[in-house]
Amino acid sequence: MSSVLPRFILALPLALLLGACEHMPKLPKFGGEQEPNVVFALGTRDGFKSPLEGALKPACPALQFENEGYSLTGAHKKALAPLIADWSKAKPRYLIAGHTPPGLPEDFARSLSERRAQAVRQHLIESGIEAANLQTVGYGYDTPPTSNVVVIYQQL
Amino acid sequence: MSAFRLSTILCLFAVLLAPAKADVLPSWLRFWKGGSAAKPAKIEPKRVSIGAFAGGTGTSAKQALVAELTTTREFQITEEKPDFIITGSSVGGRITGKVANAAGKELLDRTYAAPGLDENAKALADDVILTITGKPGLATSRIVFVSDKSGAKQVYLSDPDGKEVLQVTHHSHGAVSPTLNADGTAVAYTSYSSGFPVVQWMDLSQGWERTVTDTPGSSFGAAFSPDGQRLALVMSFLGNPEVFVTDLTTSTAACISDTTGAPSSPAWHPDGKQVIFADDRGDGPRLYVAEVPATNQTEAQLLRWRTGYSFCTDPEFSPDGHSVAFTARISGELAVVVKGWPNGPAKVIQAGGASHPSWSPNGRSLCYAQHGNLYVHSLSSGLRRLVLEKHGQISEPRWMK
Repeated sequence: MSSVLPRFILALPLALLLGACEHMPKLPKFGGEQEPNVVFALGTRDGFKSPLEGALKPACPALQFENEGYSLTGAHKKALAPLIADWSKAKPRYLIAGHTPPGLPEDFARSLSERRAQAVRQHLIESGIEAANLQTVGYGYDTPPTSNVVVIYQQL
Repeated sequence: MSAFRLSTILCLFAVLLAPAKADVLPSWLRFWKGGSAAKPAKIEPKRVSIGAFAGGTGTSAKQALVAELTTTREFQITEEKPDFIITGSSVGGRITGKVANAAGKELLDRTYAAPGLDENAKALADDVILTITGKPGLATSRIVFVSDKSGAKQVYLSDPDGKEVLQVTHHSHGAVSPTLNADGTAVAYTSYSSGFPVVQWMDLSQGWERTVTDTPGSSFGAAFSPDGQRLALVMSFLGNPEVFVTDLTTSTAACISDTTGAPSSPAWHPDGKQVIFADDRGDGPRLYVAEVPATNQTEAQLLRWRTGYSFCTDPEFSPDGHSVAFTARISGELAVVVKGWPNGPAKVIQAGGASHPSWSPNGRSLCYAQHGNLYVHSLSSGLRRLVLEKHGQISEPRWMK
């Protein structure tokens, strides 16, 4: 009996702790991605030209991303500011194309590049550009440029 | 009195710890169970004798069959006390094969009339293996992969020896992310021919192509369901990429992931009820498992599967559903890892840049790409075989199930 009791004294707090874990609320995430309040579905792609067909010019310098991140930094927003300011004059349409460098798993690269393009699109919509004028595409490293960039092409 | 108190504590303890939690608790806390299921006993290989084949091409047919069965190492080919007896005949390249057990009961009787003798011998060898072991043979199975040999990335089809390689797509701007259905008659892939990523599928026997998704944004990562009627794939028309299951007969799609991150590479459980995929919710891709909702149901479970690695992609269930192979990034390099499902130890199969594993139909080997070459890795022996090299940069191999 005396040898069994200390084991229970040890095991009981463990059992109570496990029980308490069941009721623990979900902890807030630190430093994670801020989830957007409203996500806008993409409109029709009719009339949009692909950069693979050529003859498309970037509307602003390519946005550089680091590692596998897909949230926009202050530098990105600064680079996009002139584009946002000029948009209301002619209301051009933009194709936002994401790219990644080789070395990542292929399907993850496609998803990551698409997610980055969507992050840029979300910022542009929140800054006042109409959602119907924006399309996204994620090429991963299937087509050049194979680097960590998002390129914004102005449609003709 | 003290005995009564002790029993009260004992009951409390039992109620708190033991019931219903067995499946939820991590494996390291399951100290009362004494390890996982018992290891299967080592099985002696079946003894098989191959009798003389009658007919004009009988000798060469027997030779081809013996060579095929010898390389698979499924059986011990011997004349002494055979468990199974193979007999047959061959005329003009056609092969008729018969399998009987030791008691003389006929288990297989089939004629193969494909144009080539070797092709017929391979088909017979696969049927013999399926009849005797219950697991499919690999000789007639196919591996689909991507190569940039012709400039743009295109989809190719190969036998598991790498001897017969066939280019499937000739799309402008290329085609990537291929998947084969269970019997190898259809292939689905992401095509860039319109300039945008669009998922298409091709009937290999008839050669026609059909577009599955013509949605704005990107669509990629298609995977055929075990019954071949549905595709799991990633589409981004909602404003962020999500995993969908689309029915090929009705062309409807249901979203099964609930994420604002970057999901990729879905793959099916062999029961066709669960889909595993990688999802990057801001801290690197991890693995998630989603239930596929039944047709009249909208609620479906989604849970994170902990693997012990912080960067996991390209998961694929083994044909028996007891393991998952995936690509992990270990100290900056990609590696192929196999882990037991739902619980089990993780084992690094190949480090040093190996990626995109795919199970063989019998579940005993993995194929993967490493440094642009295609390898087949036997899980029982731990030996690997270079199947294809100097064929451009090979990536994304997938074995038919």
